[in-house]
Amino acid sequence: MSPPAESQRFGIEIRGLRKAYGDTRALDGLSLSAESGEVLGIAGPNGAGKSTLIKILAGEEVADDGQILVGGEPWSPSFAAHRVAVVHQEPALFPNLSVAENLLVGREGTHVLRPRLRREDRALMDELGIGSSARRPLSLCTLAVQQRTEIARALARDARIFLFDEPNSALTQEESGELFRELHRLADAGRIVMLVSHRLSDLVAHTARVAIIRDGRETALLEGVRLTQEAIAHELVVEAEHAERAVDDARAVRPSERESDGSRAILRVSGWTHRDGRFSDIAVTVRSGEIVALVGVEGSGGRELLRSFAGLERTQGTIEVDGAAGDRPVRRRTAYVSATRELSLFTNLAVGQNIIVRLGPEIAYGSVVLRPRQIARLARDAAGRFLVKCRSIAQAIRSLSGGNQQKVAIASAMAKRPRLLVLEEPTRGVDIQSKAEIYRLLGGFAETGNAVVMFCTEVTEVFDAADRVHVVSDGRLSEPLVVADYDRIEALAREISKLERHGQTLAA
Amino acid sequence: MATDLTPSGGAAATVPKSSRLALAGRATLELGLRLGGLFVAILVVGAIFSYLQPAFLTVDVLVSVLRAMASVAIMALGLTLVIVVGEIDLSFAATYGIAANSLAVMWILHGVDIYFAILIALAIGAAVGVFNGLLVTMLRIPSFIVTLGTYNLLYGFSLYVSNSSTFNPAYPPTGHEVPKSELSFFTGLTKQVGSHQLSLEIFWMLGLALVVGFLLHRSLFGFRLIAIGGNPAAATLARLPVRRYKILAFVLCGVLAAAAGMLDFSFIQTVQPDIGLSSTFPVFAAVIIGGASLAGGRGTVVGTLGGALLLATLTTGLALLAVGPFAQQMFLGIVTICAVALDLFATKLQTRTA
Repeated sequence: MSPPAESQRFGIEIRGLRKAYGDTRALDGLSLSAESGEVLGIAGPNGAGKSTLIKILAGEEVADDGQILVGGEPWSPSFAAHRVAVVHQEPALFPNLSVAENLLVGREGTHVLRPRLRREDRALMDELGIGSSARRPLSLCTLAVQQRTEIARALARDARIFLFDEPNSALTQEESGELFRELHRLADAGRIVMLVSHRLSDLVAHTARVAIIRDGRETALLEGVRLTQEAIAHELVVEAEHAERAVDDARAVRPSERESDGSRAILRVSGWTHRDGRFSDIAVTVRSGEIVALVGVEGSGGRELLRSFAGLERTQGTIEVDGAAGDRPVRRRTAYVSATRELSLFTNLAVGQNIIVRLGPEIAYGSVVLRPRQIARLARDAAGRFLVKCRSIAQAIRSLSGGNQQKVAIASAMAKRPRLLVLEEPTRGVDIQSKAEIYRLLGGFAETGNAVVMFCTEVTEVFDAADRVHVVSDGRLSEPLVVADYDRIEALAREISKLERHGQTLAA
Repeated sequence: MATDLTPSGGAAATVPKSSRLALAGRATLELGLRLGGLFVAILVVGAIFSYLQPAFLTVDVLVSVLRAMASVAIMALGLTLVIVVGEIDLSFAATYGIAANSLAVMWILHGVDIYFAILIALAIGAAVGVFNGLLVTMLRIPSFIVTLGTYNLLYGFSLYVSNSSTFNPAYPPTGHEVPKSELSFFTGLTKQVGSHQLSLEIFWMLGLALVVGFLLHRSLFGFRLIAIGGNPAAATLARLPVRRYKILAFVLCGVLAAAAGMLDFSFIQTVQPDIGLSSTFPVFAAVIIGGASLAGGRGTVVGTLGGALLLATLTTGLALLAVGPFAQQMFLGIVTICAVALDLFATKLQTRTA
């Protein structure tokens, strides 16, 4: 790869960056700095502002306030020089074009003729090991090749600042090894490299410093001997004072305080195997009154395992929900809520209509004629019970805050009176107050003879809401950790990350 | 921030009682605002025509406007269902044609009992809907492509069954006979009654509009149809019967198109293979002018009727002014674009003030 023009060292400095979406402050005075030649790690819980930072640096969003300096000069994403290249988890390229064409888009250098590949471009592709796939449509390439294409594209535009956003979450062990070698070569050639990752082991192994971002600010900078997985885990889970108090209320009614032994099995699977091999031979039982969390890094199979309980993945093996087996009975007894609200809410319907959208005979005579009074009553009751803050149930769903939208999504799933609630990241992008309320509602739901299984990416969520947690790594389920055994969240976090690592070493 | 987690306290505080019937009330209000513009437009257009051509404002002309909109409106009702669920049907005009042509062939050439032939023609419409629906939901072929294919396929069938000839039950080809009683029953379906020659086809249109209006706005089917059209992926995850309802929407569209074809045949009394094909775009225009969104999840029966009425007013008025066919076409284009542009503008205004 071509070395940078001169050996001048430069750095990027971010000062007091602010960005708000409505009432939510995504970035609240974030300051960061990175020098050329180093790899800076960035870690933070969901909703901490990482993706907003990436969007601002990539020029997709404009900050409300703050400064970005590159080499001491004020910088903006629209400057051609010192362009920031983002290597995404899911590459943002043109899937309908070939690898080589992707390299050329935007710098064709011609207005009439079909653009042609220059010799430097070819050399660049060969250097990155994607020369042999040059003519292949990107959509047919592996994720690793797609990411390399993204890197090549950035290098061809002489980008100096590289931002890797969870780059290896869906790569094989070998591919991610390759990727990290590439990352270090970029840094060694004098470029600024930033790595955003959830994987603590990668952060420790591949970065010199790790900045922890929480609530839109840098809350800690770990380097040297202080840079350990335990330290990162600790920084990630320490919550602000007020947050702890709100969640303490939720913990007061934690289902773990109820006796759960001897109660009915709500979910029982055995020999549970994914058709495409994302997980295999899983056996687990969830009893009434229990809230069970699944944890696993992206690609571990945890998310797929959760979705499979709702019948959304192709699987083999036996599943029983509340003693019933078979497709229809299982479906009738489970309800699923997706992690993204685009997949759980209907924006063309009002708040109340969203709450009752899954109902049938309950809201229509003979399942035909709608009963408007009954609909309004059910919706209003549920909105009250779920503490949905709205002026009226006839309000547009988009006018609610994220937390209240999520309450509506969960209320809608519970309206169907399932025995098993299957939740994917139930409080993603939800404010702390709503989080506590949602955990309370889940506890209340489990208490009345039901069960909840949820996939979590945050240890705080496990600690605050779950009775036990299974770590999924490489399609296998760990022995459960009983949350009540841990007084402090750091201890639980350490144990979970140990189990995650254990799975990874097994795979290697 | 105050922490009030008691469910009962929250219930009273968060959702006021006044919203008990607000769901229906607000929907009606919003509908009124959106449709208000449409009906104001119809009145304005009518007023302009009355000013330019005083003959326009007579009962006879108004009756002919209603007659002119009838079959377009009936097809548009079916299309509204398909568009609300987020799909497209380009084949309804050909379904209209195949229904009318096969009815003529069965009845006039093969002596099939008229009542039975009508049922078969309706069944053909339903079968077309099932065919479209299955290809769209099971094979996941985009409905635009499926129904474009069906359109051509059905037109070919119409040419084939009719042997490219024109039929008139009052003058059957030599060697064939149509019983008098059946003929009077069939023409009686759209008989003109009263001193103003009010065709029964207008009442068919109103009756079918009531049925479709009930289905779309007062039944569980319609509620789910709107939900599915608004977010098909979420509807699947919420376990709504997405495929079944999409197929049903296509079936209703096919049946309504077949009904429109037969009613027009009854009124005009002649049928030829390409009958109805030119109504594709006016019907689409009626639905879109009526406020349905091609993205799905939005559309009303009243709006669609209003769209069809506006188009019929324009067509009849321009014909009375004798401006020539080119002006009619141009007005159709201008009105369609303006209606959608106005609707988008109104929606933007609404979200900004909200």
